[in-house]
Amino acid sequence: MTGLLARPAGDLGSVAGVTSDREPTPQGAEDPDDAEIGRRFAAGEEQALALAYERWAGQVHGMAVRAFGPGPDAEDVTQQTFISAWTGRARYRPDQGPLPAWLSGVCRHKIADTWAKRDRMRREAEAAATQAQAAPAGGTTPAVDTAIADRLLVLEELDRLGQPQRGIIELAFFADLTHAQISERTGIPLGTVKSHIRRTLERLRTRLEVDGAALPA
Amino acid sequence: MPHCQPEQLALAALGEPLPADAAAHLVSCGDCRSEVRSLQRAVDAVDVPEFAASVAPVAPPASVWAGIAAATGVSPAPRSEASVVTAPPPPVAVAPAAPVPDDPPQDPPAGGQVLPFRSRRPRVLMTAAAALVGAVVGAGAVAVLNGSDDAQPLTSVALDQLAEAPASGRAEVVVRGDGSRALEVELDAPALDGEYYEIWLIEPNVVEMVPLGVVRPGAQSFELPTGLDLGQYPIVDVSVEPLDGDPTHSGVSVARGVLES
Repeated sequence: MTGLLARPAGDLGSVAGVTSDREPTPQGAEDPDDAEIGRRFAAGEEQALALAYERWAGQVHGMAVRAFGPGPDAEDVTQQTFISAWTGRARYRPDQGPLPAWLSGVCRHKIADTWAKRDRMRREAEAAATQAQAAPAGGTTPAVDTAIADRLLVLEELDRLGQPQRGIIELAFFADLTHAQISERTGIPLGTVKSHIRRTLERLRTRLEVDGAALPA
Repeated sequence: MPHCQPEQLALAALGEPLPADAAAHLVSCGDCRSEVRSLQRAVDAVDVPEFAASVAPVAPPASVWAGIAAATGVSPAPRSEASVVTAPPPPVAVAPAAPVPDDPPQDPPAGGQVLPFRSRRPRVLMTAAAALVGAVVGAGAVAVLNGSDDAQPLTSVALDQLAEAPASGRAEVVVRGDGSRALEVELDAPALDGEYYEIWLIEPNVVEMVPLGVVRPGAQSFELPTGLDLGQYPIVDVSVEPLDGDPTHSGVSVARGVLES
């Protein structure tokens, strides 16, 4: 299982307490470690934004390019991710997890926002086209709308989770680890991992039931 | 047979295999299956390959950082784009065939930084053009130094609209009769209330900048400081400044161009 747990340097998925496996580098003003960059970022030190970009822009842009292909959309997502992360840095808590994991969370929001925007434009175009013709009976909602709305709600709710719950569920969701692998990776006991997963999924279910669209029966 | 444990149903919702007895029960129990389905909605919502944590890094084009710097007003820049990632850049960053100056510059633009162009021209072409700015501006700076006595434009640039603000215009560097240089600006932008436009000359890596003054919609002239190297500050930038007494750039740029000869 260690193969699955080995992480490439700069891997974005992580949990509080799990530090990067990157080779130890001499620390100093020129080359601070990841945690140091995170602390300075949270403190609003401008140099930390440049350092964070230097170290993690490739990962963030990799996500954006995977979602939209190379080009203006991906570039906007990457740009917006760093701008939002910087202006919203008060919400980043260095003691709650590494900065690259938080940045990838912001990036997922930007990707989901872009999807939602495209979906809205598509539906507006369709509505306009439908209005031009006779309105068909029955306002069926396409399933894709629910999926897009659910996605935004889940991402939003993940932001509200504390640690270690957030890190655990993100490893399950985005790193595709089993609960046993998560326990091994984080050092959190197996039973605790399982109960956190259960409670988090219940919490997400509640959020979707309260704020999400009703699912077709 | 007892129902599955709540934790097991959560794991099943995540797609984890259950122990044999629990799995056998799940197959036959409608209540447990319905519980799994209800927990699965959140799992499914974010179960898209685009969200996966492991991804091959891709170097963003330099314009991405320039946009971040402009929007945040942060001055320090990443040491170099080359150090961002080791992966090859996306195709968009590959400059298409573009006119190559006869005399290539000895030094590329500082840090390889270019600006977040939002121009009418396709972005790819702008990236290529921006990469050539170092060379072209070098020539422009020489032309300024050799300027004649008449007020004649040495270099001019379109100020392209940035973001949503409908601001654009032109800027020209002229040498006046007395040998002084001026930036003639024609700004086409809506009047502001409680804010004002300011015009700046900025370095290619958007770190150092020279404020030239308050600019109104219409035509105006700004004297350039003697000895100012336009090759070092080729970006003409129009910002919107709040009336807050803070002399630094607000970070809100509405129009921008890069001086060429």
